Order: sequence, then structure tokens, then C-alpha cells
Amino acid sequence: MRIDYHLKDRFDFGLLFPVIILFGTGLAAIYSSTFNNSLAQGNFEKQIIWGVAGLILFFITYSLPSNVFKQSAIPVYLFSIALLIFVLMIGKTVSGSRSWINFGSLGFQPSEFAKVGTILMLARYLSRTNTDIESFKDLLFALGIGLIPVTLILLEPDMGTVFVFLAMIITLIFWKGISVFAMFVVLSPAIVAVSSLFGIYYFIASLVIVVALLFIFRQDFFFSGSIFALNLACGFFADYVFRALSPHQQNRIQAFIDPMTDPLGSGYNTIQAQVAIGSGGLFGKGFMAGHQTQLQFIPEQWTDFVYCVVGEEFGFFGAIVILSLFTYLFIHILKISSSSKDEFLSLLAIGILAVLFSHFIINIGMVVGIMPVVGLPLPFVSYGGSSLLVNMLMLGILANIYRTRKNYA
Amino acid sequence: MISERFASIQRKSILSVAILFCAAGLGFRLFQMQILNQTLYETKSANNSIKQIEQIPLRGVFYDRNHKLLVNNVPAYTLRITPLDYDTRLNNLLEKVLDLDSGYVSSMLDQYKGFSKYLPIKIKRGVDFSAISWFEENSRHLPGVDYIIEMHRGYPGGVNGSHIFGYTKEITRKQLEENKETYKSGDVIGYNGIEETYDQQLKGSKGRRFILVDSRQKEIGSYNDGTDDLLPVRGTDVILTIETSTQKAAEEEFKNRRGALVAIDPNTGEILAMVSSPQYDLDKFSYITSQEFLNQLYNDPDKPLFNRATMSIQSPGSTYKMLAAIAALDLGVITPTSTIYCGGGVTFGRFFKCHGVHGSINVVQAIEKSCNSFFYQLIFKIGLDRWAEYCRRFGFDAKTNVDLDEESPGLIPDSKYYVKTFGANWPRSILLSLSIGQGEVGVSTLQLAQYTALIANNGKSFTPHLVRSYINSDEQEVYLKTHPIDVGIDKKVFDVVKEGMYLVVNGSGTATNIRSDEYVISGKTGTAQNPHGKDHAWFVAFAPFDHPQIAVALIVENVGFGATYAAPIAKRVIETYLNSLKDKPVKENKTLVKLEKIISEQSGEN
Repeated sequence: MRIDYHLKDRFDFGLLFPVIILFGTGLAAIYSSTFNNSLAQGNFEKQIIWGVAGLILFFITYSLPSNVFKQSAIPVYLFSIALLIFVLMIGKTVSGSRSWINFGSLGFQPSEFAKVGTILMLARYLSRTNTDIESFKDLLFALGIGLIPVTLILLEPDMGTVFVFLAMIITLIFWKGISVFAMFVVLSPAIVAVSSLFGIYYFIASLVIVVALLFIFRQDFFFSGSIFALNLACGFFADYVFRALSPHQQNRIQAFIDPMTDPLGSGYNTIQAQVAIGSGGLFGKGFMAGHQTQLQFIPEQWTDFVYCVVGEEFGFFGAIVILSLFTYLFIHILKISSSSKDEFLSLLAIGILAVLFSHFIINIGMVVGIMPVVGLPLPFVSYGGSSLLVNMLMLGILANIYRTRKNYA
Repeated sequence: MISERFASIQRKSILSVAILFCAAGLGFRLFQMQILNQTLYETKSANNSIKQIEQIPLRGVFYDRNHKLLVNNVPAYTLRITPLDYDTRLNNLLEKVLDLDSGYVSSMLDQYKGFSKYLPIKIKRGVDFSAISWFEENSRHLPGVDYIIEMHRGYPGGVNGSHIFGYTKEITRKQLEENKETYKSGDVIGYNGIEETYDQQLKGSKGRRFILVDSRQKEIGSYNDGTDDLLPVRGTDVILTIETSTQKAAEEEFKNRRGALVAIDPNTGEILAMVSSPQYDLDKFSYITSQEFLNQLYNDPDKPLFNRATMSIQSPGSTYKMLAAIAALDLGVITPTSTIYCGGGVTFGRFFKCHGVHGSINVVQAIEKSCNSFFYQLIFKIGLDRWAEYCRRFGFDAKTNVDLDEESPGLIPDSKYYVKTFGANWPRSILLSLSIGQGEVGVSTLQLAQYTALIANNGKSFTPHLVRSYINSDEQEVYLKTHPIDVGIDKKVFDVVKEGMYLVVNGSGTATNIRSDEYVISGKTGTAQNPHGKDHAWFVAFAPFDHPQIAVALIVENVGFGATYAAPIAKRVIETYLNSLKDKPVKENKTLVKLEKIISEQSGEN
């Protein structure tokens, strides 16, 4: 049993095992939804190849010396920024977003890669010995690191990925130990910005709350005034950004607010996805037997809407299994993060957790109709090479952190 | 230094709670949808599903220049079986009615086993009408059997025209990936020829219908009383510049021969006939094209898919002598009366020979007799770069911009080219070959036809084109814009050259065998040397002499001398066209009968 103990100590089965089940379920769902579709012939086989490639990438990343991550942070970050600029200039537009770079028949989204680059860079900056997250200057610098890629992705525009980045930045700052007041300063403009999209009353209400909280925190008058001004500016800026969004994204946000207003346009996917899941019942309609899936009511179901294949064909049972596997995975990653003795690696792990978790929440949320349709894949389950590779890379980093968790004191 | 708050137990708990809370929220939502409201969604799924049906418009048809129908759409019946409703005991009956081998139906069904049982399988295309009426009468006893109307191209004009028309076929995966914005999977698009060039105009715009279907894909009504539906818009019909009888004559002449022919109206640039031989059978593309047929076309050593008229580049041989003559006259290095001595050839490094001993001859006689010695010496008076400049003025060394996608620019060498190829001391003897259209100079049949048209019309014409006009929604003919060409050379120069070409046929020249009593044809023979076999025969001609209506250039591959093989073809094409002008029917719009608007439907995702 000695060897077994060593292996368990060095390799985290709790990390890889749920992911393999998720990937397998994804394969089944992809098979079922692409079988009759001439447009997607071969996607199942391609996904298997991507899976194998992802597994290789996972083990390579796993076996790297863990100081590699810290050393590569700056170059990887700068390279990903360069790619994001590059894609804005020569990228290929797919459904309204200029977010793809093509190499022959292979497509690649630089924003996927930029997730890793930004986490590395932020974790590196925040783990510097002299970084004080309570100092205004350092906080601003940290936000700057995160907001440069966010701005570039906003220009593509790819709203879903922007949400993922924001969640990741906030989680990293939170994990670093930001105080409640500073967190309020960071978050309030974002909340005000979102509420301004719902209309003028929401906007005013959120501003009133901000003013009330400012009184509670009792900071000096000048500082409170600047924060209020910042909030106000963000509210107007959000409105401007909304107008700058591509029509298909505007429609999607509007369709989320009331899908029935446009049942044939943007609301179509939401309605059909809900019908698919809802009609699945307790045990589902059986593999390759879902009406909604087999009759292809939902376009490109094997990508962002893959979860409704699971929901329809494997029912509540299958959907809950997927949900539980993800939850187990996330709690496990949180454990890895807090067990690491190295501040940089701990931050790195929490950043990865934030990225995977926000994908999960936004994707399933949109499929079950409680979030807008923003087009994010479900990690490890949805069809797609570049997202799977980046997710496996991040998983490899986590396994690496687990392996070396005792090395740093 | 790790801050006290960094990764604190408290913060870990906050995140754990947040994760669990969100997951529980999603879990509750799933419970609500799948357990509590399951029946609600179940009925929605089973009964009222909105489905979008794509409606494919009719593709634009082609008329010839006299409004004769050349390419149209023919409805064909396709029989389908929906496996879910179908009873396999009907197999034998179906096979008997459809005149199929026994076991065919079950083999087709086996092929699609594993596919959704709700999706109809296309069993046979092009089912004849009598069988369809039988199915219609007996539909009650044939559950799961239905038919749809699909359109395919028909060619009622009796013209093959494979390289002019091109064909239509389902879009390939690769093309689809390149044009995701414009096309969808299953779209039928034009390949080659006019079908490709004008695909955007010909295809029309798709319609869509929203219908309510039940879970068995059966239509149970239109959604929202059809207010969201969009009617398909027919593709635009086009009128070509082709003259059917001329095209037919040219195609007949080229049967069992390899080569190409282009006939142009010099006054307008309209292409009257264009043949690339061997042709291929467009009819075979109209149903599903068998892989066998395609392989046969791809592997044929004669390359039938290749448009020789625009893509094949050959030396123009003696047909190119007029170019040097025009350049020399226009530059003033010779006058119409200046003579050059031909003693049977010219020595320049080695001996370059002529067909005979012509003595002192002027430019008109030199064209008539096709005297090489004259042109060997003439090109030195012109100079290589000035000669190349004149070639380019006549449209050589560039695409003609004819409305076909497949076209080669050919090659006209100049001193820069030779310095690059051979270095600064390139052998000047190359010029001798160029002067008589041999050596590196390479032209397409289309370019040579354009050049002949420009000579015939004194240096003025229009870019050659195949589509003259289209028919707008008011059934009016709208002419497309044409681009004028003017080489900017005095008419007197052309008069001299044309006199030479007149004598080639009507004097004692090289093509007196095609002299005609009816029309005055002028022309020039040529022979393209071919290192791989017998020489190719060229002939360029125009007629009538006084007011040219047609200019022709043609090449017959591997037959030898131009006058014997190529010239008679030109004669027949010219005569056919000029005859057609004589008994030209009064343009009647009756031929533009509106085709019955049959719409073939195709489900959106297939």
C-alpha cells in the first residue's frame, strides 16, 4: 500500500476523475446531437481527438516544475494581449464577434488563451511581497492588469468572456484579502452599470443604495464624493457600451428579459432549450431519443447548448449528476487552493476556479433560462477544441499545484 | 509576508457557500422544470413546436440573344419514406411500381439505420409522373410514403455549352466553411461558367415559413397565421450573348476534335459562340452526380472540365503577324509600300527559314503569303519592348475580364522578362521567333478572338462578355454595363492589315480553300508548334469585310496546318451566324413566358 499512498499523494484523482466523466457525457451528447446533422458530421470524432490532445497537455503541464508558471507569467500575459490585438485586426467574424483566428480549418480563440495569461499575471502581481491590496495604487494596478484584456474582448465583442474575466478578477482580489470597503469600491460601479441597463429607475435605485452605503462606511467626504462620481460615470458608460454591442448580443440580452417577445429570433434558442430540458422528466427520453435534439430544434446544440441534450435525453437524473460532478470539482479546487503553501500558486488555483465556475454558472444558467444567452461553452462537456485544450491546461496546472503543494513554506 | 486575510478560512467558507448556493439554485431550477412542470414542457415538445421551413426559390434561367430558352428548371419528383410510419411489407410493391431491383428499398433503409426515424429518407429521385399519380391515388394505403418536388437544371436549347453554362451542385463542405455568411449546408450553388459567375443573381432569395409541427414532424398548422413568413424571390433570368445556331454549328464541328473556338461580335464585344472541346454532359450533373462520373471526368486525359477557350495558353503562330504589322505601321517604321526582301529566310546566328522565296514584298503581301522573313526583320525595327507594349494594348498578357471565373492571362515576354530569365546577354535571336508568334508568347483563344475583333472594328470594341442583360421584376430587359476598349490606332493602319487578311482568303494567300461567294471572309492561318505531338492549327477570321459582324478565333489541337483543318470550321461558324442575322426573327417577348412558380421545399436543417 506504500506505493499507492505515494501515488495518491502526488496525483490528484479527485481532480481528473470527475472531468473524465464530464467529458464522456459530453461525447455522448455530441454524438446524439450531431448524428443526423450533415453540418456537424465528424464532430464526434474530432472531439475524441481533442480529448486525447487535452489529456496529453494535462500530463505535460502536470509534470512541469511549478516555478515555470511564475516565470512564464509576464511573457504569456504579453503574448496573449498581443493575440487579442491581432484578432481584432485580422480575426474571423463568427456570429457577430470578431474573436477567431484561423489556421487552415482549425479555429482558435485568443480570449481562451488570455484567460490563462491574465490569471498568471494577476496572481504574480498580487503575490509580490510588497503588494498591498488595501493601497489604492496597487489595487488600481491589479485592476488595470485585468481590465486591459477585458477592454480588448469587449471590442470583439464577446460579452460572455467579459463576464468570465470580471468574475476571475474579483475572485482573485477577494482571495488576496481585500477589505469589505475596498471590495465595495470595486464592485459598486459594476453593479450600477448592470442595473442601468434595466432602465432609469433601477439606475437611480442603485445610486441611492451606493450613497447609503457610503454613509455607513464613513470615509472622508472627498473620497466618498469621488466614488459616487465613479459610479455615476459607470452607469452612463454601461449604456454606451450596450449601444456599442453587436445587434445579436443586444437582442440576446433583450430576449433574456422577455424571451416571448421574440419567439422566432433571439428568444427561440431559450424557449427550445427549456422545452428540451423540461420535457426530459425524471429519467429522460433515452439516449438518441429526444425529440428536440433529434429534430434539431436548437441550432448547433453540440456547442453551447449541449447541456439540454443531457437534460432531455438523460432527464433530471442525468442533469443533477452533471451538476454534482461540477460542484464536487469546484469544492475540490478550492481545497487545493487553500492547501497550497505558496501564495502565487494559491492565487493561480483560485483564478482557475473562478474561470471554470463562471463558465459553468453562465452556461447552465442560460440553458435553463435564468441568464442571458451569451454563448459560453460548458467546460469539458461542450464541443470545441480550443476551449477543451485551455481547460485541460488549467486542470494540469491544478494537478501540478496539488503535486507540489508541500514544497513551499 | 502573507497578509492575515489572504486565503483565510473565513474567505474559503464564503466561496464554498457561494459555490454550493449557486449549484443548489440551478438544481432547484432543474427540479422545477423537469419534475414540477414536466407535463407542461412535455406537451409543448409533443404538440406545438415551431419549425422553420426553408423555401428554395427557382433559379434564374438563361436565354440566348434571340430570347430562345437555353437553360431552365425542370421539376423532378423525389420519393421519400419516413421510417417511423412506414411498413416494410410494402417494399416489394414499391419496387414494382418504381421499377427497381428487388431489395433496393430495404437496402436504402438499412443505409440510414441509426438515423432518426422521424427524418424522411429520399428513396429515388426523378420518379416519373405516372408512378407519382399512382402514389397519389393510393396514398391512404401507403403510410410513411410521400414525395417532394425538387428542381434540377434542364437544357432545352439543344446546346451543350458545358463551359459557358457550368453546372449546379450541392455546396461542398469546404466551400461552406469558406462562405459561412452567404451559404448554408445543402444549398445548391453554381460551379464553373455563368452559373458560378452570376450565382448571387441567379439563386434568388430564400423564403421561410414558420409552421407548427408535432413531435412526429407532421405539420399541424402555420405559426401566427403566417405573418412571419417570407416569400421566396425567384432568381434573376439572364439573356446571354450566345447565338444558338452558331453555337450548335461550332459544337458540331468540334465533335471528336480537341480545341477551342470563340466568336465575338466586334461592334459590341458580345460572345456569339464559345466552345471548348471535349465538352462534358451537363445533364449528368442535374440529378445526384455519381462519384464514378466525376472521377471519370477528373481522370480523363483530355481534361474535359478544363475550359480551353479561356485557360489553355498556346503560341498564336502566324495569326500574330498582324500585330507586328500594326505596330510597325503605327510607329511609322514602315509605310504600306515599303518593302523588305525575302530570300527564303534570314541568317541570325543560325538560319531562320521562310516557307518560300518571296522576293521584295510589302506588308500586305507579307500577311497574304505569311512570309516569315518579312516579320523576322520587321521586329528589329520595332524593338522588343515597343512590340510588347502593342501586344498589351490588344489585351494580351492580361485577363480579358470576361464574365467567367476561370481565365488565364497568358504571357507576353519583354526585355525585363528575358533579363530575368537569361541574364543581360539574352540571345537576341529569340525576337525572330516572337515576330511570327512562336517562342514564349502565349495567348488564349479568347484573347485571340478579342484581337481579331479589334482589328475588324478598327481598334475599338468592348470587353468580351457572355451575359448581355437580365430581366427585371417588370419583365423588362436591362442591359449590363459594358466596358469599351480603344487601342488608339489610326483606321488607316487597320485598312492595310485588313487588306492583307482579305487576300489570305480571297487573293492567293494561305486559306483560299474557304473562299465564299456569299460572304466576304478575311482571315489568317497559324500553326502553333507543339513539342509533344502534331502542331495545333489556328485560324482567325472576320466577316463581312465591309461591316464586320463576327470575329472568330479557333484552335484545333494536334492536326497540323491551319488552313486545312481550322479554316473550314471558321467558315461554317461565320456563315451560320450571318445567315441567322438574315432571317432574324422579330424579337418577340412571347418567349419570355413566366414559368409556373413551382417552389420546391426543403427542410431548414437538411
